Amino acid sequence: MIESILRLSIERRWLMLSFILVIFGAGIYSFQKLPIDAVPDITNVQVQINTEAPGYSPLESEQRITYPVETALAGIPQLSYTRSLSRYGLSQVTVVFEEGTDLYFARNLINESLGAIKNSLPPGLEPEMGPISTGLGEIFMYTVEAQEGAVQENGQPYDATALREIQDWIIKPQLALVKGVTEINTIGGFDKQYHVQPNPQSMLAYDISLEDIGQALRTNNSNRGAGFIERYGQQLLVRSPGQLQTIADIEQVIVKNLNGTPVKISDVAMVAIGKELRTGAATRDGKETVLGTAMMLVGENSRTVSLAVAQRLKEVQTTLPKGIELDSVYDRTTLVDKAIATVEKNLVEGALLVIAVLFLLLGNFRAALITAAVIPLAMLVTITGMVKTGVSANLMSLGALDFGLIVDGAVIIVENAIRRLAQAQHNNQNEKLPLKERLELVYQATNEVIRPSLFGVMIITVVYIPLFSLTGVEGKMFHPMAATVVMALLAALVLSLTIVPAMVAIFMSGKISEKESPLIVAAKRAYEPALKAAMKAKTVVLGTALGLVFISGWLATTLGSEFIPQLNEGDIALHAMRIPGTGLEQAVKMQSMLEERIKEFPQVDKVFAKIGTPEVATDPMPPNVADNFVMLKPRSEWPDPDMTQQELVKEIETAVKELPGNNYEFTQPIQMRFNELISGVRSDLGIKVFGDDLDQLLASANEILEVLEKVNGAADAKVEQVTGLPMLSVIPKRTAVARYGLNIAELQDLVATAIGGEESGLIFEGDRRFKIVVRLPEKTRLDINGLSSLPVSLPNGGYVPLSEVATLQTAPAPNQISRENGKRRVVVTANVRGRDLGSFVTDVKQQIASDVDLPAGYWLDYGGTFEQLESASERLSIVVPITLAIILGLLVMAFNSFKDAAIIFTGVPLALTGGIIALWMRDMPLSISAGVGFIALSGVAVLNGLVMLAFIRDLWHEKGDLAMAVVEGALIRLRPVLMTALVASLGFVPMALNTGTGAEVQRPLATVVIGGIISSTLLTLFVLPILYGLLHKKDKIKTEEV
Amino acid sequence: MTSLFSMNPMIAKLALSFMVFSGSLQLAYAEQHGDHGHEAQEQGHSEEHDDHNEAQQGPNGGRLFHEGHLTVELALIEDSAEPEFRAWITDEGQPVSKAKLTVQLTRLGGETKAFEFKQLKTKMGDYLQGNGAVEEPHSFDVTVFLNHEGQTHTWQYENHEGRVEIKTEIANRAGISTQPAGPGEINQTLTVYGKAVADTSKISHIEARFPGIIKRVNVAIGDKVKKGQVLAVIESNESLNRYNVTAPFSGTITARHAAQGEQTEDQALFTLANFDSVWAEFQIFPTQSQRITTGQDVVVSLGERKANTRIEHLIPSTTGSPFMIARALLDNRSGQWTPGLLVEGKVTVKKVSTPLLIDNKAIQTFRDWQVTFIKVGNEYEFRPLELGLRDDENTEVLSGLKAGDEYVVDNSYLIKADLEKSGASHDH
Repeated sequence: MIESILRLSIERRWLMLSFILVIFGAGIYSFQKLPIDAVPDITNVQVQINTEAPGYSPLESEQRITYPVETALAGIPQLSYTRSLSRYGLSQVTVVFEEGTDLYFARNLINESLGAIKNSLPPGLEPEMGPISTGLGEIFMYTVEAQEGAVQENGQPYDATALREIQDWIIKPQLALVKGVTEINTIGGFDKQYHVQPNPQSMLAYDISLEDIGQALRTNNSNRGAGFIERYGQQLLVRSPGQLQTIADIEQVIVKNLNGTPVKISDVAMVAIGKELRTGAATRDGKETVLGTAMMLVGENSRTVSLAVAQRLKEVQTTLPKGIELDSVYDRTTLVDKAIATVEKNLVEGALLVIAVLFLLLGNFRAALITAAVIPLAMLVTITGMVKTGVSANLMSLGALDFGLIVDGAVIIVENAIRRLAQAQHNNQNEKLPLKERLELVYQATNEVIRPSLFGVMIITVVYIPLFSLTGVEGKMFHPMAATVVMALLAALVLSLTIVPAMVAIFMSGKISEKESPLIVAAKRAYEPALKAAMKAKTVVLGTALGLVFISGWLATTLGSEFIPQLNEGDIALHAMRIPGTGLEQAVKMQSMLEERIKEFPQVDKVFAKIGTPEVATDPMPPNVADNFVMLKPRSEWPDPDMTQQELVKEIETAVKELPGNNYEFTQPIQMRFNELISGVRSDLGIKVFGDDLDQLLASANEILEVLEKVNGAADAKVEQVTGLPMLSVIPKRTAVARYGLNIAELQDLVATAIGGEESGLIFEGDRRFKIVVRLPEKTRLDINGLSSLPVSLPNGGYVPLSEVATLQTAPAPNQISRENGKRRVVVTANVRGRDLGSFVTDVKQQIASDVDLPAGYWLDYGGTFEQLESASERLSIVVPITLAIILGLLVMAFNSFKDAAIIFTGVPLALTGGIIALWMRDMPLSISAGVGFIALSGVAVLNGLVMLAFIRDLWHEKGDLAMAVVEGALIRLRPVLMTALVASLGFVPMALNTGTGAEVQRPLATVVIGGIISSTLLTLFVLPILYGLLHKKDKIKTEEV
Repeated sequence: MTSLFSMNPMIAKLALSFMVFSGSLQLAYAEQHGDHGHEAQEQGHSEEHDDHNEAQQGPNGGRLFHEGHLTVELALIEDSAEPEFRAWITDEGQPVSKAKLTVQLTRLGGETKAFEFKQLKTKMGDYLQGNGAVEEPHSFDVTVFLNHEGQTHTWQYENHEGRVEIKTEIANRAGISTQPAGPGEINQTLTVYGKAVADTSKISHIEARFPGIIKRVNVAIGDKVKKGQVLAVIESNESLNRYNVTAPFSGTITARHAAQGEQTEDQALFTLANFDSVWAEFQIFPTQSQRITTGQDVVVSLGERKANTRIEHLIPSTTGSPFMIARALLDNRSGQWTPGLLVEGKVTVKKVSTPLLIDNKAIQTFRDWQVTFIKVGNEYEFRPLELGLRDDENTEVLSGLKAGDEYVVDNSYLIKADLEKSGASHDH
């Protein structure tokens, strides 16, 4: 089959060439659609269901909302698991689907289930699905600020409420229209509300209850359409406007008629613009601000979308009142541009280096050009493939592309073709070859090496298979990488079967210089005696090789290790955590201090933070947690531009640790978001206790903690924080309530309205709508002591103080209630130090089984990263041997000989040796990135061996003299081996040396490959011929194979 | 097929290298996930008491001190009735009985306390028991003196808990302010509501003494009259003599039924009322009644209007309602208290001078206690308090604090937050 394809390609060479246009067309078209981002999206398929429940305490929101929602979701197809948390005013259920589930399908399913339970939820509460976005979705953030001295229309300076109004009603509607934006999430400022603040005393005087006021407002605030009438042929619409429009309107609403005298709102209450009871705030550079976040729709191109948002923001700016400024504080474009620049630089420089090597070694301009042409073609095919398979272009997916590897197959073919052509020309008295003869020669030359070349590329492809077996976060990180490389290799493979021979046939028509390039001549001159010497000192060479393998094996154990090198986003994010129960305003104060301190660093450009929960609860934090973003100035503006980011982070950490009351966790913006979304248990071992009663759960968890702490190797063991939120309970005294003719609901309504406020309609100002809220004046609300004498109106007139009918109690209550798969849970987490995870977990399980007695109805589940590790190692331990077996199988297929296949296989450990030494020399830790390098390396090593061995064998079979064949073959193959090795390693050199954004992810990989290829080339050039000679010494030529 | 044998070790080697690789990945995982979020200095109770990281721990869970063959183990036992020191002294592993052990504690601020030890034999084992309870907070510098065979050995260690250092500059920026604790007055109040009612003794429904025809009326509603002023002139039906109806006291005419020419009949001609004083009648509900007695001061207020008075009477409600009525007299010469007004009363239910009180803002809950934070130099430390009476501004301190101690008033929450911050985490 291969022959017929080759023949076709050469005969229909122009047709083949025209395919180039197709590839270009498809590639460029796809490139427009290629999603570009900095890093792969590692978010799982998840849908958040948020239900805002103003005033609900954690217990209530769990009981009334979370539970029904969770129950409704049970049994949804492709559901992986649900987890939920219930906090003050919020129930959030996160539904995670199996990998590969279509997000829109999943959302549809959820929508259906939610529709079914609408009636079982408390009235007025509406579960909503979070934005159709992922962890990479927060692409753009901006602040809305007023310039110094800017005033509102009424002459007042802009306050947080006014700024929020501008954000909500001018900016957000415009930005939400940008294509690719799914949500504009706001945090900070106050939602403008009209507050009716009754004075308890006046209410008593006029015998008016809070309910009366609410009722009056509700029934005196609506427009009514009244159909139409026809008058003299003309149609007149009828309406009766009655909406309240201003504060004065509200004040004039009549609550009650007391002996013929109307009692107006203004008689019993103060009406003013007030502040909502907010759950989140935003700060910037130490001051309160309003912060908008543009969230990108799943699958969009973050660069395009954030550019569009930035553009639209400029247009919005012109529509704003004078003195209001929009300032973009986080723009994903910056990071993506930087990352793409890094990748681009690597790829372009790599490609140039590869082409240069080709010129130098092939010594033929056209040949080099043909080979190099594979690079853009393969790249374009890859891009088309990426779009088709939904792989986005990012540091990881493009990070392992080495043009050297890609052109390897073509190099071998072209090299052989020009060698043969030159030879033939030489034989033809340097005359041009006739067309037919030339074509035949090209066919032969190609066919000669196509098999090893194809096998080689296939083998390199196969070694990437283990990467596909990774699951979870690792899988998401490395699947795109593996997919891209495999696509590029396959593209190169097809190209070297079709277009490369076609191009050789067309363009290698002129005189072909037979002279080898001086480099190769020099190399050969050096290589020949060296090889001969090596052949004589076989044991020394083999011994050295073996020794190197063992030394590097030992070296590997001394290397440090990290999981994935962390992408340096160029900005710093930090969680500032305060103790649970810290109030929002207190948190804002503490936050201001923190920001002022951070701002003092000359390297810091902007610092801003989100405290608590934003409008759309994509990241439901309690008020005591703040996400800080520290945007850094360009390095050139730093006092010391050579300072590393780690050093800066260290300095900032030391500085902010002096501020009282904050605890910190340093991370980076995207990383932080991923962590929040993936969430789960982030420790090595998480023991989840499931059950009903929170106190019992906590007791059991503490018991487990005690056991856990005693197990050897346990570190940082702790129980998840579930309590500690101080709560003021107003507990009705049932008999007293009944004695005064009240009922519990009335009492609760009163407390809820008095403290939390009750929404009693809307005020419309054009499109803008603002709530009217009845709530006690701040002074009265905040006075806990005074609360006990709050008058409670009695149904038949008169009043009693609140303390008469209820007990007031302050006690700590659950801070949040976490559930998983429909059951309450408390997690005990621990890390492991100085001992292997597997045995630790076994130990812990045993200890807990024997020492902890769980009551009936309670059970445990073990989770944590150990699970992923276990499954990853398990899978790898199956997949890696299988892969090796496949490679071996391919080799056996290529050679029909086990022995030869095995000889080639020896290339792998020696190649790894070089990789390890290179890592050690650059002082880099082992990581998955480096691991991918090792994988690529194994492929290259095998390819080299294959090329060399195939030729030696052919030569041996042809000439019949083993020793001569080995030396001769090695010499002739020196050029392709050197070339493949040089292009592969040089292609990675820019990557290994780059220091741009994102380079940290690729550097280990490139380092490993370069180091490995050097050692593997040495092996191919010296050890392989020796081994081959040794092992085949006693074999006879099987002539039938020739 | 000899080649098969030559191949196996190679595969093994390869597999080995992969294993090395995946093994180190595990390590990588542990390192990456192990370290986050534990930078904070642990300040918690249990942490500090177990803070013998560098120190050796003895067989009884205490701290070990060595000098030659001599070993002292000192433990602070908290699960006994009162926290106490226990010690074990051994010489080459043998218990030593003839030795004098003294432990001296120096607290923040320089206060010292010394503990002597005496031998105790119990079922649980023998030990030396320190005399006296070790009071909270268990935060001090400890000096251990051991006098054994004429030689005195000294050891020192720090046992700090609930103590934090904040630089002055930062404390200022954070708005942490302090003031010395001292004596003061606790003024407990109770808010009650009631109505202003007129003084019934100062309302007169004036009738004619003899029936007759009203010849003249001198006053109209709202007129202010003096005692003895002639209000009307009436011609008696019997004697046909005219006589004057005069005001029995000074006051305001609030009703007038008399008109010229009318028969007086049996009706009241005028209602004369004197509003110079009105009563505020407050409803006192059962939960409040124990705290209210006559003679208590009360501030009566209505909006901006305020008056100081005292509770004169406490009478049960006559309407069968569950509350009592507390009456207070209001001076109404300015006429601002109209009967029928709903008024608020702040009754001073208790007014005592206390030797030591602190600002309410200074009180925080910490662990299971109510505490305040004292400041010495740049260091702050909690003091568990036993609190007494409390009013809107101050709270009496029964124990736990000394007069003159500099305590944190504003932003005391920051100190609490700092002490507990190691527990602050970001769980989702």
